[in-house]
Amino acid sequence: MRPNDRSYLKSHEWCKIDGTVATIGISDFAVSHLSDLVFLDLPNKGSNVTAGESFGEIESVKAVSDIYSPVSGEVIEVNKDLPDNLEWLSQDAFAKAWMIKVRFTGKSADLLDGKTYDAHCAAEG
Amino acid sequence: MLRRIDDPAIAAAANMARDEALLLGDSTALRLYGWSPHSVSLGYFQPLADFADLAEAIPVVRRLTGGGAIFHGDELTYALALPASALPPDVEASYALIHDAIVDALKSIGVKSLRLQHGSAQSPRAKSRWCFFEAGRHDIVDREGRKLVGSAQRRVRTARGPRVLHHGSIVIRRPPMTPFVAAIEDQAPAFCEATLRECLAQRLAAALGMEMRPDALTSAEDQMAAILRRDRYDRDAHTAMR
Repeated sequence: MRPNDRSYLKSHEWCKIDGTVATIGISDFAVSHLSDLVFLDLPNKGSNVTAGESFGEIESVKAVSDIYSPVSGEVIEVNKDLPDNLEWLSQDAFAKAWMIKVRFTGKSADLLDGKTYDAHCAAEG
Repeated sequence: MLRRIDDPAIAAAANMARDEALLLGDSTALRLYGWSPHSVSLGYFQPLADFADLAEAIPVVRRLTGGGAIFHGDELTYALALPASALPPDVEASYALIHDAIVDALKSIGVKSLRLQHGSAQSPRAKSRWCFFEAGRHDIVDREGRKLVGSAQRRVRTARGPRVLHHGSIVIRRPPMTPFVAAIEDQAPAFCEATLRECLAQRLAAALGMEMRPDALTSAEDQMAAILRRDRYDRDAHTAMR
């Protein structure tokens, strides 16, 4: 069972809301299916992200994947140490490996709770 | 249904734009093509500054996929664009499925190769800036362990769901710029490219469990490719984005 204190996208990003700030990362399921992570590109502080659109890119063993935002708003903090410590994603995808914090103005209509996301992962295999 | 799209050797920017247009569509398509003039493609994350020594006359394009750079000389390139659901969800398993079909196709033209099942994953932070310098897990190599096929994937989520672009280069003649590669000419100097195209398409269709039909880009895909070429792949700013 994945943390139920946050929401998920089917594309395997998580989003934890605290007041007007959303902390965003990718799930353990995404990390395990990508494996051997190589590069991570995150947006700059002060840039804007849009719900459902790509805000970053991650390269794993011979695959580049987009990372999609669960919310719209302004990036107010970036986990700058993460691109140089990609092993954090395997070790602690739901806490230490957070990616960005966004002061959000809107959320994706496609957010799932933990239980529904678990079922989605099980169906994807 | 697998759409088979046979293109001739065309410009680097046009090739990348056509591949991306297929990725952003909703069909399952296999595009087979070459490069004219011969060009260098950079992996998506590679810095252009690492290639300052290249002759100015050689066109350079930035790929949508990752990994190391490739000098595209005499080669057959394939681009498979399809829904992620048509492949195993695990990236490595998807490589295994596609590359086993390619090994089989190469065998049918008299070229022995194998998919490495062990070893480390390759990365742009590896020993060389060139994709073909070192073979890693799931790479297709010749009997001497030299890489024969360089490949990479891009995974996106479109309005129609998650999609994958898997493309790769099969070296026909060894380019002087990357003399460490394996090449088809080593084992089958008199091979016929049309036969290789046919075998590749048949084996990939079989691996995907699909029927195959010859096709061309639709007018909408052509238009999308023209826009992507103009706004992205022909722009120096895109090539120099890293």
